[in-house]
Amino acid sequence: MTNLSRRTFLKASATVVAAGSVPAYFGFSEFKKAATEESVKKVPTFCHGCTSYCGIIAHVKNERVWKVEGHPIHLKSSGRICARSHGMAAYLYSKDRVTGPMKRVGEGKFEPISWNQAFKEIGEKLDSIVKQYTGNSVLWLEHGTHRKSYVDRLFDTIGSPNFTTQYSTCFNAKTNAWLQMTGTSLNGDHKNAKYMIFEGRNFAGGIIPNGMNHITHAKENGAKLIVIDPRFSEIAKIADEWIPIKPGTDLAFRLAMANVLISENLYNKTFVQQFVDGFSEFKRMNMGYSPEWAEPITGVNADKIREIARDFAKYAPQAFIEPGWHGLHSHYVNSTQTSQMGIILNALVGNFYEKGGLMPSASLQMGHLDLPAIENMPEKGARIDGAGVTGKYRTVEPSRGIAHITPLLVQQGLAKAVFICNYNPLRTAPDPEEQKKIKDAELVVSINIDWNETSYYAADYILPEHYYLERLEHPQAVSGHISHDNPQLALRQPVIKPMYDTKNTLDMLKGIADAMGHKDLYPFTIEQEVEAAIAPLGITFEQLKKAGTLEFPATVKPGFPIKKGKPALPTLTGKIQFSADLFKIDGKLGIPVWVPPLVEPDPKNDHEFRLIHGKQPWHSHAMTTNIEQLMKLSEKYQGTFMWLNASRARKLGIKTGDTVTVRSNIAKKKVQVKVTELLHPEAAWLPSTYGGFSPKNRTANGIGVNFNDFIPIMVDPLSGSTMAQEVVVTVAKEGN
Amino acid sequence: MAKYGLLVFPERCTGCTACNIACASHNQLGLDVSYNRLEFLEKGTYPYVKMEILPVQCQHCDNAPCVSVCPTQATYKREDGIVEIDADKCIGCKYCMAACPYEARQLNEKRVPEKCRWCPEMLEKGEQPACSATCMNEVRLFGDLEDPNSQLNKELAKHEVYQLLEAKGTKPSIFYVKK
Ligand code: SF4
Ligand code: SF4
Ligand code: SF4
Repeated sequence: MTNLSRRTFLKASATVVAAGSVPAYFGFSEFKKAATEESVKKVPTFCHGCTSYCGIIAHVKNERVWKVEGHPIHLKSSGRICARSHGMAAYLYSKDRVTGPMKRVGEGKFEPISWNQAFKEIGEKLDSIVKQYTGNSVLWLEHGTHRKSYVDRLFDTIGSPNFTTQYSTCFNAKTNAWLQMTGTSLNGDHKNAKYMIFEGRNFAGGIIPNGMNHITHAKENGAKLIVIDPRFSEIAKIADEWIPIKPGTDLAFRLAMANVLISENLYNKTFVQQFVDGFSEFKRMNMGYSPEWAEPITGVNADKIREIARDFAKYAPQAFIEPGWHGLHSHYVNSTQTSQMGIILNALVGNFYEKGGLMPSASLQMGHLDLPAIENMPEKGARIDGAGVTGKYRTVEPSRGIAHITPLLVQQGLAKAVFICNYNPLRTAPDPEEQKKIKDAELVVSINIDWNETSYYAADYILPEHYYLERLEHPQAVSGHISHDNPQLALRQPVIKPMYDTKNTLDMLKGIADAMGHKDLYPFTIEQEVEAAIAPLGITFEQLKKAGTLEFPATVKPGFPIKKGKPALPTLTGKIQFSADLFKIDGKLGIPVWVPPLVEPDPKNDHEFRLIHGKQPWHSHAMTTNIEQLMKLSEKYQGTFMWLNASRARKLGIKTGDTVTVRSNIAKKKVQVKVTELLHPEAAWLPSTYGGFSPKNRTANGIGVNFNDFIPIMVDPLSGSTMAQEVVVTVAKEGN
Repeated sequence: MAKYGLLVFPERCTGCTACNIACASHNQLGLDVSYNRLEFLEKGTYPYVKMEILPVQCQHCDNAPCVSVCPTQATYKREDGIVEIDADKCIGCKYCMAACPYEARQLNEKRVPEKCRWCPEMLEKGEQPACSATCMNEVRLFGDLEDPNSQLNKELAKHEVYQLLEAKGTKPSIFYVKK
């Protein structure tokens, strides 16, 4: 017999399901009749649902993608994929795809044009902008860096330094701290760990399927998992302990953990002596940060902090604090210091380059095309967003930029032409009303597959890319977030023929460059790129196409990098720098000290909350919001609801399902509430997915609200991120 | 002849819903139909709380109420334990829906009360059905109860298990691991 009260349990979320007419789909019996006799073609490629880029195998029947499965050897999926991956594959058949190049003819009005017309008009316009304002007025915004090598050739030709990723809205503090302090970045070796701390990090929400699989197995082998998060996140479900910390105070928790490690002599002295620079300064400055000091700040009991620090030391080096990502590393004024403390704590227990601790990614030496040098390359000015520029945002990584201030750059007349590729700042960056002003640039081109908000409100031209299941890309070395000894190479290749009049971005850039008069800027095809990339690897294109993912002999061994008997990290001293040189500004030492969050809800005001957010396991922020199959899951599980802590909600007379008004300084929106015990009382939590407002993305439009609605455009002074959780909102029941 | 069974590790589930949608795409279900679901339950009071999740689908009962109430034998029990529906014989009376204590059945667009099929085309090949194959936390394990060497039987031997609504006497083919 179960010890659950089964009837109530079973009834708790019984769903009422209405039959609907579903033209694109057919029940299994019909599908069986229509297609069982047809043979299944299986094509390996990789997913585009998030930047895990899991290897998948697409099953094609009757020239229609039937379903996808995880690629059995791919590092990120290892045969298993999340809900998003299934939804992304189904989105191939969305009715909201952009079916050919479009030109704006009015507000919300577009007319289809030919590719030739698009290239001619965009090329000529871009050329005149470059001539009038220099190439430095041209900006490329992209989700990730996948097309960077193509963009670089155009930007080298016109003289623009402004290639920008979305990272300032995601994880900048982490990469910045790792770069400054270690010159590299390591991953948790979850499979072999005995003790894992996931702080503001959620592998079960921002999913890496094989990472979760490693954790499942580690737990079967007795590993302990500690989750520190204001919200009982999905990974907290399988944790040995959930520590609900007051949002924005993780830095204090980490400072106090270090204090315990040092004051109780639990740190690894040999490791610190050999491989750490700046320990004594750190020790001196960390002295005051006792667990008792941290208790009132974090809301975590001092004894609990001691216990975690002691256990961490006990299990080390088979222990780590997850290096982290979006959750803690873009969202507070102290995110960079929090991230620095992650490195410091891991170093204090000496888990760098240790099995079960932190390990490097396996590397692969790929080849590349020998392309003709660009002649008469104009001098590039300083980045217009100020990233890496003295006097502006010197400490921000210039290779990533500050995506979310683009509307300001447009208003200041610095950005005249803006290309936005596979990215949707109008929905995923702060203050959508401000972001809409990107449209005031003289030329705005959106390269995307559906009618996202950016295309609909800001673009002069929409250039639809082939969907990920329709295109070939240069191959990708698989790495990041989980430890692996063997390098892998994955190929994205067409699973079916393109359904519409779409192109890959390389061909778009060719067309635009041609129209600008830069003939033969791209004298190659993607096929040739693939051939060049794999040339040194001893494999053939055919082999790679057939396998989708190939694995190579191991390159990773435990042990700190040593050259000529000396520590050899790519830092000034070759060691882990507890003091980051670049952060030594305004008289500071570059050593993390306590920085309180920027804003605080008034504890005496029952209506005030800190608005925080996170990924829902079946959505990839706003990227998947328009996928009908995934939105059905949102409907099934009340996914659009804003979470409020039960005792706080009770005071305001709010019950699950009630609609409340949420207000910040810049917005007022209505949303339904889930009342829960699974959240810190100070926080209101929103999934990062909803609040679509493009009328042509019909599934997402008008459903739920988004955290970005409520936050002004801010820039974290060290890493350039959005500080998206530094916002106080008031919540009131409708009518109040 | 195989006799199929399923072992579920609810403790491992993190509620990602991949099993819901993997099933829907494998079986090409309409948007409003799903063959499996998750039930969420919070327990305790902040900060001493936990969350339980129970994946639920057709239990392929050995003593299936849906089979006994079906007037046309459209719903029937196969020798391998799978409870199957012959859509051509179904007259849409919905008796099976009412009889099922697990709320496992849903009307499809053709008004046939459909439910989890246990994907015999996968089981027969020794593969896991879509709901299980996609699961990153290895929450489900399908297998042959008759084969003493099956992974399923090995795991069954290791764990204490329970079944849903045992008192109803439906004799489900799904076993849930107790924590
Ligand atoms: S796929 Fe696995 S972890 Fe995800 S909801 Fe289903 S059973 Fe749970
Ligand atoms: S779970 Fe319901 S539908 Fe499935 S066999 Fe049992 S009674 Fe029939
Ligand atoms: S066994 Fe098949 S039909 Fe049943 S839930 Fe799993 S995938 Fe769906």
